Amino acid sequence: MNKAIEALEKGHRFSATAFVLDEEAVVRYLEAVEDEALPRLAQAEGKAWVPPMAVAALALRSLMEEMTLPAGSIHGSQELEFVRALETGERIACRAWLSHRSQRGGYWVLAVGMEGADESGRSVLAGRLTVMVPR
Amino acid sequence: MGAELPSSAKTLSQEKIDRYARASGDFNPIHVDPAFAAQTPFGGTIAHGMLLLAYLSEMLTAAFGQAWLAGGRLKIRFRGAARSDETVTIGGHVQRVQEGHEGRRLWCDVECLNQQGEVLIAGQAEVKL
Repeated sequence: MNKAIEALEKGHRFSATAFVLDEEAVVRYLEAVEDEALPRLAQAEGKAWVPPMAVAALALRSLMEEMTLPAGSIHGSQELEFVRALETGERIACRAWLSHRSQRGGYWVLAVGMEGADESGRSVLAGRLTVMVPR
Repeated sequence: MGAELPSSAKTLSQEKIDRYARASGDFNPIHVDPAFAAQTPFGGTIAHGMLLLAYLSEMLTAAFGQAWLAGGRLKIRFRGAARSDETVTIGGHVQRVQEGHEGRRLWCDVECLNQQGEVLIAGQAEVKL
């Protein structure tokens, strides 16, 4: 269920989400970010690799289905670890939790931890983001 | 150590920000609604932080290839916002190298600057070669 994130308590676990790295979405992403390095590398290696930041962006999009960020929310920091190269067609399951919640000035400072796993359950992505939410 | 990563400049536009919003599903009005954004402290729309990180990731892919895709780590802070009409420069350099039994590990300072030279993103990337 979609919830206003600033109303949640530290430790809250969001519902698990999942998404597929479909080729159309990846092409749209590559065009949007004008990434020339990844397609060149993938072609040289004969792989259908997905840009790691696209995986992170799609993971965040899937998590946004489970939380509502008010208009004016600002991304404060980002930590990411890419465990292995992912290819189009792979299915990623995501879980996320609220790891920090405090107030600073006119904002809530919230941190969300997240982890993505492939179909075998192996971790492929881990991250933590902080977001400043207007109070 | 100290080796420069391949820097690049990217000129933003509202069209590019809107395109990223469609690709990422992030339609926060601070990025895509000029009327809303004009009422915020930014005075106008700003690029998604994740769009700027995509530019950083392109640089790291160009520099380290598959080592970035598999085993790469990034830890950054957003220090400023990129306005929709700005040109940003992505860059970095190798800050530390450690040799070990499992190979070499590199830590790089990475950054994104606007055309005034203000730091918008600063942080560290790590790869195992």
